[in-house]
Amino acid sequence: MTNTLHRQGKEQSLKEDFVVFMTAAPGINREGSGPKLQAFMRICAKYHPVNMGNVKQGNIHQDGVEVEKFIASLSEGAGAAAVFTDLDTVRQVIEELIRADLGISINISGLLDEVRQCCHGTGITRHSAEHSLGFWGARERLPEREILEINTLCGHGMISFNFIRKMVEYVKLRRLTPKKAARIMAKCCECGAFNPRRAEMLLEKIRKGDLTPSEKPV
Amino acid sequence: MEIDKNKCVGCGNCHAVCTMGAISLDEDGKSIVNQDQCVECSVCYRFLTSEGYWPWMVSAIRRALSLFRLGYLADVDVCPTGALTPPVLEWPRSLRGMFSDPTIVHPGTGIYGRGTEEIKSNDVTGRLRGGEAGLVVEMGRPGIGVFFWDIEKVAMALARLSPEFEKKNPVTQLMEDPRTGKIKNEVLGEKVLSAIIEMKIRLDSIPDFLRALEKVQKEVDTVIAVGVASRCLADGSIPHEEWVRSSGYAPSRNGKTNLGLGRPLFKETES
Repeated sequence: MTNTLHRQGKEQSLKEDFVVFMTAAPGINREGSGPKLQAFMRICAKYHPVNMGNVKQGNIHQDGVEVEKFIASLSEGAGAAAVFTDLDTVRQVIEELIRADLGISINISGLLDEVRQCCHGTGITRHSAEHSLGFWGARERLPEREILEINTLCGHGMISFNFIRKMVEYVKLRRLTPKKAARIMAKCCECGAFNPRRAEMLLEKIRKGDLTPSEKPV
Repeated sequence: MEIDKNKCVGCGNCHAVCTMGAISLDEDGKSIVNQDQCVECSVCYRFLTSEGYWPWMVSAIRRALSLFRLGYLADVDVCPTGALTPPVLEWPRSLRGMFSDPTIVHPGTGIYGRGTEEIKSNDVTGRLRGGEAGLVVEMGRPGIGVFFWDIEKVAMALARLSPEFEKKNPVTQLMEDPRTGKIKNEVLGEKVLSAIIEMKIRLDSIPDFLRALEKVQKEVDTVIAVGVASRCLADGSIPHEEWVRSSGYAPSRNGKTNLGLGRPLFKETES
């Protein structure tokens, strides 16, 4: 899957957006991985991620979710994700994951050079890496830059361009605060990869100014 | 998705939530789904909590408020009457949900959603090895959607270069013949939120594939998100980077990193 690969944004914004996720492989280490998935999430939860979840159970921003009960309900499955907003915290999470030695694949989506340094600092060499080569095809159908940035925070595409525009309008009309609007959007993203902090900052920015046409380079 | 007209009060909350903009108000003031455009992602059904009100009551309150030129602004994340109704999908329409709804386990892959594990478990699967690159061509993303007739155009253009299409990938499983990239006729008219054409190629063939993609992208009415992956070298450097750059493209600053913490670690030399 390429859910978190194509997150858009300026470097400063991307410096506050790291998704750490665990992926079990069927036939290799997925069977019986439920307790490891829970251990992964407990480690992540200690460091106060801005979002956590998996597609089977949803994410922590959905109505009535209590984090500990949410973690306890995780069972054997494809994986889980947690979103952090600074590299130092990510480094601490990785150090603890190395110590825990859960034996399930761990990935980080984020600025590649920073993640590489983070790996180096924890004494590991990255195994594999993937780059986005951007959006091709009928690019004229894409929306304004900020709408696209928020949309790509959910790799499954569950937050529509129209809904983001609606949230922008609600924020401009002060019917919702940027924080509340970002939390509402986070509910749509089942897997928990959405970064509500970044969305909140983008909404703040939009409230104070105009949207950037999609063709204008970052 | 379907909307129960006996329940719908035309509040319009589902219109903006729809990933494809496929819901609008009908002449009778109730919402209707354009079934050709709906990709069965079901985000409207999951996200909009049913308040379970009686439709007649909501309508009566609205009429009463309108007498005083007042309106009622409902929360954005509710369906007041629970009018959204997920249908039982028959083949080939069921394909839409399999690709577009991340909460559905795809029967062809055994995992949730439209893709595969790709490099995310490469440390234990050895899916991509030295000298190889993974090319992921995700069509319809972000936010536009794609019909399989457009997916076929791209798959056939790339198939001419003889890639190894990923067997566990759901698009590969819909090909009549992976040597040609031809998609089964019965699904060509189906639309999905996005679908990933996934293949393994040689690192030195990256320029050829990107040139082919550059050409065929002009023939499709949707967007394409392109990704390239590879197994890192012993010093942690990424071998596909130079091939991408030599092709005239700039790899993104952000991306995905597999840390190599999975066990048992796949050992290439023993394979």
